[in-house]
Amino acid sequence: MKLGILIFRNLRRNLLRSILTSLGTVVLVFVVTLVWSILAFLQAATEEKTRNLKAIVTERWSIPSRLPFSYAATLAEGAARSPQDVRPLDSMNWQFYGGTVDPEKISRESLIYAIASDPRKIPTMLDGLESLPPDQEEQLRKDVEKLAATRQGVIVGRNHLTALNKRIGDRFKLFGISTYMGIDLEFEIVGAFPPGRYDGLAAFNSDYYLNELDAYARRNNGRKHPLAEHSLNLVWLKLADTDAFNRVAEQIESSPSFNSPAVKCETAASGIASFLDAFRDLIWGMRWLLAPACVATLSLIIANAISISIRERRLELAVLKVLGFRPWQILTLVLGESVLLGSLSGLASAVATYAAVNWWMQGLKFPIAFFDAFFIPSDAMVWGFCVGAAASLAGSFLPAWSACRVKVADVFSKVA
Amino acid sequence: MISPMPTPAKREPVVRVHDVHKYFRRGSERLDVLKGLTLEVPDREFLGLMGPSGSGKTTLLNLIAGLDTPSEGEIWVADQMISGMSESQLARWRTRNVGFVFQFYHLLPVMTAYENVELPLLLLPLSARQRREQVKTALELVGLSDRLHHRPGQLSGGQQQRVGIARAIVTDPAILVADEPTGDLDARSAEEILDLLGELRESLEKTILLVTHDPRAARRTDRVLHLDKGVLVESGVADRAE
Ligand SMILES: Nc1ncnc2c1ncn2[C@@H]1O[C@H](COP(=O)(O)OP(=O)(O)OP(=O)(O)O)[C@@H](O)[C@H]1O
Ligand SMILES: [Mg+2]
Repeated sequence: MKLGILIFRNLRRNLLRSILTSLGTVVLVFVVTLVWSILAFLQAATEEKTRNLKAIVTERWSIPSRLPFSYAATLAEGAARSPQDVRPLDSMNWQFYGGTVDPEKISRESLIYAIASDPRKIPTMLDGLESLPPDQEEQLRKDVEKLAATRQGVIVGRNHLTALNKRIGDRFKLFGISTYMGIDLEFEIVGAFPPGRYDGLAAFNSDYYLNELDAYARRNNGRKHPLAEHSLNLVWLKLADTDAFNRVAEQIESSPSFNSPAVKCETAASGIASFLDAFRDLIWGMRWLLAPACVATLSLIIANAISISIRERRLELAVLKVLGFRPWQILTLVLGESVLLGSLSGLASAVATYAAVNWWMQGLKFPIAFFDAFFIPSDAMVWGFCVGAAASLAGSFLPAWSACRVKVADVFSKVA
Repeated sequence: MISPMPTPAKREPVVRVHDVHKYFRRGSERLDVLKGLTLEVPDREFLGLMGPSGSGKTTLLNLIAGLDTPSEGEIWVADQMISGMSESQLARWRTRNVGFVFQFYHLLPVMTAYENVELPLLLLPLSARQRREQVKTALELVGLSDRLHHRPGQLSGGQQQRVGIARAIVTDPAILVADEPTGDLDARSAEEILDLLGELRESLEKTILLVTHDPRAARRTDRVLHLDKGVLVESGVADRAE
């Protein structure tokens, strides 16, 4: 309605003041947007790590961890004994193996470290492989099927293909080194990991490895290989949430099956949590002190500007009243002016921050621990708008209230 | 709409003030401004109110115009007792029934002459077309058809006061109140404004209450009331200007 025009005209009347108020809003909403983005990001990161979290079972008292392979089946069940016990969603065994293609000349190029496991666990348990682009995912699925079907197959990382100068389908032999001495394995390359994180990893069938460990004893008059009883290095368990983790960790650590050697069960998220603990005060301060302080400052700035402009316009507002404008209409007029300015400036600030950080700077580089870059969530536009609107509403409410309470008779009388 | 009202056979009083007291409190002190005023203003009268500064002229005008309520006594305007109305009832009543003309015009500086005159109409259930017609008619009556889109800052004092008068008559109220409308104008502009008020009274058949310190202005009215320290001291019929 026509009141809208009046609101616009009033904003334009003292352009400098409107611009300064608007700039103040822009700057403060910018700070609030950044603070809240970082908080939202940290929260999402910790939440993600507490959902579907991964627990690692290792030997309790010794590094490197070496467990009997006989532990594997019980651990995969989370040492659940009664039906009420919690079971992991998924699990994966890790048996490390290291060997060289050239026992005469051991070099970085000729060395390969590999893990023996159940091939079908690879796509679900290895971080980052559960969310590949569709074409890579399809390729990995085929490779894993081939590995499961090929007893002596191996999936290698891209680095190995280069270092060995081999292609998929080629064969090579590894001679065990150090603790793996005496176990020599012959492989056929059935596939390669998607490029990136697993360029240095090689994975092969656990069955083949266990079989070769047994074969060693047969070749050496029944003398077992030193690793025969300790070939399992660690077990990964996937758990629904922290609660499930706590229960499973308790089941495993109290289980009589794992006495010698004893085991421990930890989660990657506990590492994050303890890291975040150090920042907890900082985060608390950002959330409960810095952000509210910004909003309060913003309200004060707006309250100041609005109360000045109301004082200047006391007579005008009184004239509107004389003409029959009701108090709520005056209130709307005054609040509308500041809320319009505040919410639009807030929105503009958030949109500009979003565009600058996400598109122009490609994320805010903030390398603490495992976080690489922060992005402004698209929610920020809503926050920006709301923070601007709320702060301006809070700041202008009292001045507006006093404006609409103006007694016209007092304004026009000589005493006022 | 602005149209002549049917002329009644006998002039009924359109404003009746009965034993009105008004006092203000300042701390423990009570300031008696109006002390038992009684007066009647017949329909279509051009009434002048004079008196020394601080005698209560503005206070009385505010009461009659429904900007304030009396401490005691009754005020009737066109068969409605406005002294008993609530603040919001008064606001609604003012829009349709009273037109105000101020000494310092009090136009909104951010709006054009046209928009200033349109303001009170925004409170009434009128279509845009009806509003446009009424605003144009009002500005025509005050002789400013050629200044529709000027801001107050672009108009002379006399012209601004004409816009103020147009705003006062645009809702076609029964009474016009004017508190020293010529107080801020030079002699010639003041004459023109007084001429205009006189014309409007004739053509639109308004009742006009004019507060003034200027004896020449008072001479244009039908009757002058003198207020001193909150009481009416004498009333006489001034020379008719027309
Ligand atoms: N709202 C108010 N609160 C307290 N005192 C008031 C108020 N309005 C008016 N008065 C007092 O009432 C007295 C009359 O004031 P009023 O404005 O009616 O005088 P006036 O006759 O219009 O004077 P002038 O000719 O100077 O305009 C003055 O003493 C004034 O101080
Ligand atoms: Mg006065």
